[in-house]
Amino acid sequence: MAESEKPKIGIFSLTGCGGDQLMILNMEPVLLELLSRFDIKDFQEGSSYKEEGELDIALVEGSVSTKTDLERLKEIRERSKMLIAIGDCAISGCVQAMRNGQMSMAERMKKVYGVDEDYYDVLEPKGLSSYVKVDLEIPGCPIEKDEILHAITSLLHGDMPEGIDYPVCVECKLNGYPCVLVEKGMPCLGPLITAGCNARCPGLGLDCIGCRGPIPEEANVAAEVKVLLEKGYDEKYIFNRLRFFGGNFEDVQNLTKKFSEKTEKEEEE
Amino acid sequence: MKRVIEVEELTRVEGHGRIEVVIEGTEVKDVKMAIFEGPRFFEAFIESVHYEKVPDIMRRICAICTASHSLASIRTIENAFDVKVTEQTKILRDLLIHGEMIESHALHVFMLALPDFLGFPDAIRMASKYPKEVKAALQLKHAGNMVHNIVSGREVHGMNERVGGFSKVPSEKELKDIRTAMVATKPTAELAVKLFAEAEIPKYAESENTLMALDPGEKFGFMGDYVLVSDGTRHPVQDYLSLTNERTVKHSHAKFSSYKGSSYMVGALPRILLNKDKLEGTAAELYDEHKDLLTSKNTLMNNLAQAIELVHSVDRCIEDIDILLSNGLKDEGLVEVEPKASRGVGAVEAPRGILYHDYIFDENGCIVKANVITPTAQNAANMEKDYRVAAERMIKEPDEKLVEAFEIIARAYDPCISCSVHLTRIR
Repeated sequence: MAESEKPKIGIFSLTGCGGDQLMILNMEPVLLELLSRFDIKDFQEGSSYKEEGELDIALVEGSVSTKTDLERLKEIRERSKMLIAIGDCAISGCVQAMRNGQMSMAERMKKVYGVDEDYYDVLEPKGLSSYVKVDLEIPGCPIEKDEILHAITSLLHGDMPEGIDYPVCVECKLNGYPCVLVEKGMPCLGPLITAGCNARCPGLGLDCIGCRGPIPEEANVAAEVKVLLEKGYDEKYIFNRLRFFGGNFEDVQNLTKKFSEKTEKEEEE
Repeated sequence: MKRVIEVEELTRVEGHGRIEVVIEGTEVKDVKMAIFEGPRFFEAFIESVHYEKVPDIMRRICAICTASHSLASIRTIENAFDVKVTEQTKILRDLLIHGEMIESHALHVFMLALPDFLGFPDAIRMASKYPKEVKAALQLKHAGNMVHNIVSGREVHGMNERVGGFSKVPSEKELKDIRTAMVATKPTAELAVKLFAEAEIPKYAESENTLMALDPGEKFGFMGDYVLVSDGTRHPVQDYLSLTNERTVKHSHAKFSSYKGSSYMVGALPRILLNKDKLEGTAAELYDEHKDLLTSKNTLMNNLAQAIELVHSVDRCIEDIDILLSNGLKDEGLVEVEPKASRGVGAVEAPRGILYHDYIFDENGCIVKANVITPTAQNAANMEKDYRVAAERMIKEPDEKLVEAFEIIARAYDPCISCSVHLTRIR
C-alpha cells in the first residue's frame, strides 16, 4: 500500500502511567507488521517524527487532569475524524479519580506538594467524554492486546468494533473457576465489572479489583455492596474498593456520599 | 543578547517533559527541566486503603516499571509488619525484577536511545535499514515480558505477586519456556553492548557526578536494604529522606532531590560502577572489556551500562529458573500477615534507579501516610546540571545542535516522567 493511501494515525497520551501505549508496543510479534499498515503522524513515546494536519484515527490514553491536558485533547479532537479512548484513564479517570467528590484538588495539592491549588493547573481527573465527543472506548488498566488488535483490524476493514456488556463472572464461569466470592468470601468485584480479561484474577485465585471499570448502565452497585456487607467487610473498606476504578461512576459516588453522610451523623451523635 | 533554547516536548521518553535553557551573552543564565505530566496524587488518595491491595494501586504509578513499584510496595509493607517470606518467593521476585529490567532496557536501549546514534527518528523507521536488529530487539523485549506474564500475571499491572508470596506459583513448563526464550535471545543482549561500545557517544556533558545505588548483597542485583554512595558511605534505606532531600519547585510537577547540597545520579551507570565487583560471567567480561568507557563523568554511558545489565539479567533469569526447577516448585500459599500500627520503608532498583516507598499504617493495617520517591525525580537536578555543562561547552554552536544535545542527554537517563510526578514528605 502506498504511504499516501494508509490511514493517518496519531497515538497520544494525557495524564496516566503510559501503560496503554506500552501495551501497543508490547505486541512484539506483530508490532512492525501492524504499524506498517498506518501512516504514523504523531507518537511522542515511540518517535521523534511529528507532522501536523488531519488524522483518520487518534488513539488517546490518559485522563484529563490539567488544563494543558484539556487544551491538547481539544486540539486532537479538532484534527481527528475518529477519536478512540484507550484504557480506563481516558474513559473514567482510573485510579487518580478515586477521591473525586471526596477530596478537593486543593487538599490533594496540600498533602502531596505542600502548596496551594493554583500552583499547578490541575483539574479533577476525568475521562475524555466529559469534554469532547468520543467515538469508541476500549476499557482496561491496561487495555488487552487482543481487544485493541481486534478493534484496529476491524477499523482497517471499515467495521466498527463492538463493546462488551457482560460481567467478568461470565468468563469466570466459562473457565470453570471456583467463585472466589461465594466459596472463599473474597471481596470480588467481578459481578460489576466489564469482562474481556478472561477472568484473569480469579484464574490466579485472586478477587477482581475492577480494573476494567463497571459495566456501563448495567452494574448493580447496591447489590454488590449488600453481598460484601453480608460477607463481613465494613463499609469503609467496600467503598474504598469500589472507588479504585469507579471514582467517577455515578452509582459509586452516590452510595459513597450516603455512607459518609451516615458516618458523619453517627459521629455527631 | 538573550537566547532561549527550548525542547518543547521530549520525545522517545515516557511521559511529558520540556527543557528550557537561557543564555545571555557568553553565560548560561538558567536551566530548567520542566515536567508537565499531570500530577496524580497517589500518596493522597491511597490514605485509608487496606494494605493488602496497596501494591495493586501503587504499581499503577508507572507501566514500564510496574513490577518495581509493586515489589517496592510489597517490601515496604512486609518491613512494616515483620513478614518473612520463603526462599522460593525470594527467587521468584528476583526473577520478576530481572525480567522487568530486560523488558524496560530492551525498549529503551534499542527503540528509544539507539535511533539517535544511527540517525533515525524512531525504531520503526530504523527497521527499514536494520530489520534484523529491530526484530531481535523485539524478541528480547518479548522474553522480558514473558517473565511479567508468567510470574506476575500480565505484562503491565500484573497481580500475582502479593504481600507474603505469590498467589499462584508458575508451572515447570512455563518456567522452561522462559528459559528457552532467554537462551535464544542472549546474543541480542550482547549485541546491545557491542552497538553502544562502538557508537560515538558524545562527551559534551562530562563532569563530576555523585552516584547512588542499592547494595544488592553478595551478587549483582536490584533489591537491597542499604544505599551505596560514590563518596564511599553506606546508609540503611530507612535514612532515605536525608539522602534525597526533596524540594518542591514551581517549574516542575516533580520535586527535585539533592545530596549534601548537590545533585546526584541513580540508574544503570551508578549500579554498574558501585557494584562492578559483584558482576559475574559474560556481564563481568563485558564490563572488563569496556571499563575505560564506563566513567562516572559521562552520564551518557548509562546506555552502555543498561546494555551490560541486559546481559546480566538474561543470565540471571536462567540461573533463577535453574534453581527453582532443581529445588522443585512448591504450592506454598501466602505467609500469614499480622497488621499493626507501624511504619515501613522499602526500596528496589527500578530500571531507572532507586525507588523508595514509605508507609505509615494504623492498627488495622490501613495507610495513614505514604511517600514515594522515584528515580526520575532524583535524577532531574542532575539532568539540569548536565544541560548546563553541555550548554556552556557548546555556547558557540547553533540552537539546533544544543537542542539535539539536550534531547540525547535526557534520553540517556531513560526518564520515566509518569513516575516522577507525585511526591510528598512525611511530616
